[in-house]
Amino acid sequence: MINMHAFNPAPIYLTFKISIVATLFSVFIGFWIALLLAKKVFPGRHLLDAIIMQPLTMPPTVLGYYLLVLLGRGSFVGRFLEDELGISLVFTWKGAVIAAVIASMPLFIKPARAALEGVDRNLENAARLLGRSEFKVLSTITVPLSWKGLVAGAVLAFARATGEFGATLMVAGNIPLKTQTLSIAIYDAVQSGDMYLANILVLIITVFSIFTVYIVNRYTDGKF
Amino acid sequence: MSLSFKLEKSFYNFNIDVSLDLGKEMTVLFGPSGAGKSTILNMLAGIVKPDSGFVKINGKDIYNSEKNINVSMRKRRVGYVFQDLALFPHMSVFQNIAYGLDGMDSGKVEEKVKEILVLMRLVGLEERYPAEISGGQKQRVALARTLVTEPRLLLLDEPFTALDYPVREKLRTDLVRIHKRYPITTVVVTHDQEEAYILSEKIAVLNDGMVEQFGTKGDIFYSPGTRKVAKLLGIMNIFDGVVHGFEGEDVLIRHVKLGIIKARKSAGAGLKEGKHVTFGIRPEEVMVLREDRNQRNIENAVDGALIDVVDRGTQNTLYLKMRDGNLIIKVDIPNFAYRKMGLRKSKEVMVSLKKECIWVID
Repeated sequence: MINMHAFNPAPIYLTFKISIVATLFSVFIGFWIALLLAKKVFPGRHLLDAIIMQPLTMPPTVLGYYLLVLLGRGSFVGRFLEDELGISLVFTWKGAVIAAVIASMPLFIKPARAALEGVDRNLENAARLLGRSEFKVLSTITVPLSWKGLVAGAVLAFARATGEFGATLMVAGNIPLKTQTLSIAIYDAVQSGDMYLANILVLIITVFSIFTVYIVNRYTDGKF
Repeated sequence: MSLSFKLEKSFYNFNIDVSLDLGKEMTVLFGPSGAGKSTILNMLAGIVKPDSGFVKINGKDIYNSEKNINVSMRKRRVGYVFQDLALFPHMSVFQNIAYGLDGMDSGKVEEKVKEILVLMRLVGLEERYPAEISGGQKQRVALARTLVTEPRLLLLDEPFTALDYPVREKLRTDLVRIHKRYPITTVVVTHDQEEAYILSEKIAVLNDGMVEQFGTKGDIFYSPGTRKVAKLLGIMNIFDGVVHGFEGEDVLIRHVKLGIIKARKSAGAGLKEGKHVTFGIRPEEVMVLREDRNQRNIENAVDGALIDVVDRGTQNTLYLKMRDGNLIIKVDIPNFAYRKMGLRKSKEVMVSLKKECIWVID
């Protein structure tokens, strides 16, 4: 007999909330880093690139550990946030956002940087020589011509944020309705033997993941 | 309108050190690829920073390493037509041309763009995108986009190299016409001798990051100052000889194969007997003699056989191999004359190196 117990959509809602906020941060912060890496030659550029890309290779638990140490009450940053600003990050959904930002940002930066680098320097110089300011050059030439890469990066970052597990678990924990995201709920369901719930959640995340990457490929001809 | 500059820049295995004073005429920077032509334009525009020197437009510094002046690209008011044109692919022809008119009210923008569209023969293409117009049209859009902002200096980098021959010719005349209409200091970079000849009022011949010679078109093409310049300009008929003596207004130069060649004394300064000199003649100045002509008393006559003929459309280039010796003389002759005289490959002919056309370099 099929287990007909009630399906709670809270993890889905929570995952999307965290992922949307995290993607916004990833894009707004990542854009300037991508621009810096794409257009400027400065000492330590490769090192910065290597550090930014760490979340792609480092175990998520290590990432989570760093965040926990950095944001927890034991650290200066954590104490300052909590005492002065009243923001508590550890074991809250905001902590999950931070984890998702760190994990997803490289996925935005990589294609964004490639797209920004792909904009012909002569076009930007032509715009400057025609009397336009750096901001105008960026907003009328560079961004419109790298639009595809920026969107592709944002979608990939969003997809990555929805699937974030390790770092989120370390920083935000597994509190149902508060910090329990989709991927953590799957882990939880399997642990407690609720294969019905696990199957539904796995199906949702699989379809969503394939769909987003497919859309990005369609949109950019597989360039990013 | 004037431009004067001195620019120095060192690269890994290459140095640029040039200085020139230009008026409002059209000046061609001519030289082989790798001579540093484009880098000089980039330094004038502010894209590349020189190591030292200065750039003055109408007497005012826009770059000066000693006074620590380096005006930003957007404030230089330098018009630059890039070799690849750098049209904005996501903007229509109208938007491209209006791009530099930021901050002007839209009525005024429309008026100015319309005016330049007429001048540049672009009316009707306003709504098209760069990918939808021809190479020649793109070239004119790039020029229009720059001219509409009324630059103080116009730079063109190999402007017509990517175009077909007839289009190129039309555009060259356009450029000369437009330069008359907007008489601003214009610097054109090219490695094409024909282009250099048609466009220039003055030519600076560059080689290895240095100015080999700077002067009027006539000076450079008809009395090149160094053997190098003659070579760069594609003058193949260059010979070495020794001053043998003088005869009235003429100087006699002895060449191992050609024998005694007469040239005007005025062709070279400080000529002395026994001096080693280089002399030459442009291929189009070599005269092919008709067979029926009295062949005595012809100055500097050379006879031989045509070993090759290259059809260049309106003219033919002949390669004459001297009868006694391995010397080859290049001759350019108009197509009609070529046909009229019944010339063909392997035919025996006599040519004259007219003495007033021979230039001499110490």
